Amino acid sequence: MAEYRTQMKIIGDILSTTRDDLQDEDGATVTYLIRKANISHSRISTILKTLVSQGLLEQADTQGSNRYKISQSGREFLQAYHSFSKFADNFGLNI
Amino acid sequence: MEFLLENILNLVGFLVGLAIGIMSFVGFRNTGSPTLFRLTIAFFSISIGFFVIWSGYMLEDYVIKSGSIDRGIQTLGIVIQTVGYFFIAFSHSIKAFFPKSNYFRSIGILPFFLVSTVQLEHIFRSISFILLVYGAIETILSYRDNKNKGAVSVALGLGLLAFGEFLGWYSFVFPESILYSISMTIKIAGLVALFIPVSKVPLKRIKFDDDLDKI
Repeated sequence: MAEYRTQMKIIGDILSTTRDDLQDEDGATVTYLIRKANISHSRISTILKTLVSQGLLEQADTQGSNRYKISQSGREFLQAYHSFSKFADNFGLNI
Repeated sequence: MEFLLENILNLVGFLVGLAIGIMSFVGFRNTGSPTLFRLTIAFFSISIGFFVIWSGYMLEDYVIKSGSIDRGIQTLGIVIQTVGYFFIAFSHSIKAFFPKSNYFRSIGILPFFLVSTVQLEHIFRSISFILLVYGAIETILSYRDNKNKGAVSVALGLGLLAFGEFLGWYSFVFPESILYSISMTIKIAGLVALFIPVSKVPLKRIKFDDDLDKI
């Protein structure tokens, strides 16, 4: 059975991909993120818009396509996310 | 002896609840996670509940000096703690806690107005016991998925608090026995077990960021 992922977990997966698993220095394309984060196009579009507006991702228009890179705020958020995931794990919960 | 143990228990409960509540709050501010928000409410409630009872004992010890704590204060503290235990259980998605029928919902609260504070205390102790057992079972079940040893310690902590609550209630059957002191010692051990894994979570270099809580 597929594992249920909370919105926070999906955001964590997207940010982790843009930090650790980039194809090249220009950033990740939407298609690449969809594949890596295992999420639908309509859902990832909304999440990416939110993450860019919050300053967690940087958007660049390279070679005619939108590419996404993690920002400094995004790195700090991801660090907090991992720490508090461990914290919530102790209570048997997902953040 | 019981008076001293009560003071230690309530002070430890206040401090442990406060520490975990603050950690949960920092987590909520940094990630905006609803789970951490529920844990914040849960542990601040537990902390306030213990503080209210501790204040009652201090007031009795230094001001009133009647020989026993005011039942109203004791009941108030227990009710606030029960709210905290409810939010821990609620975090594990209690789906059928409240009756679905509007009739039962409307009359469900009536018994609370028909009983004395002593009986209210017993009712809320019973509810706390059920919520704690539920939380302990759900937490230990999560160990199957994440193999996190901290979950075992938290489950043990919640289990000990539940067992302590049960013995505390059972000691009314055998007043003046050692049961009540044992129940408080078990509860203190439960609070310590609850705090151990949480104290090991690395929270260094995490700071508040007002922009992040809108996610």
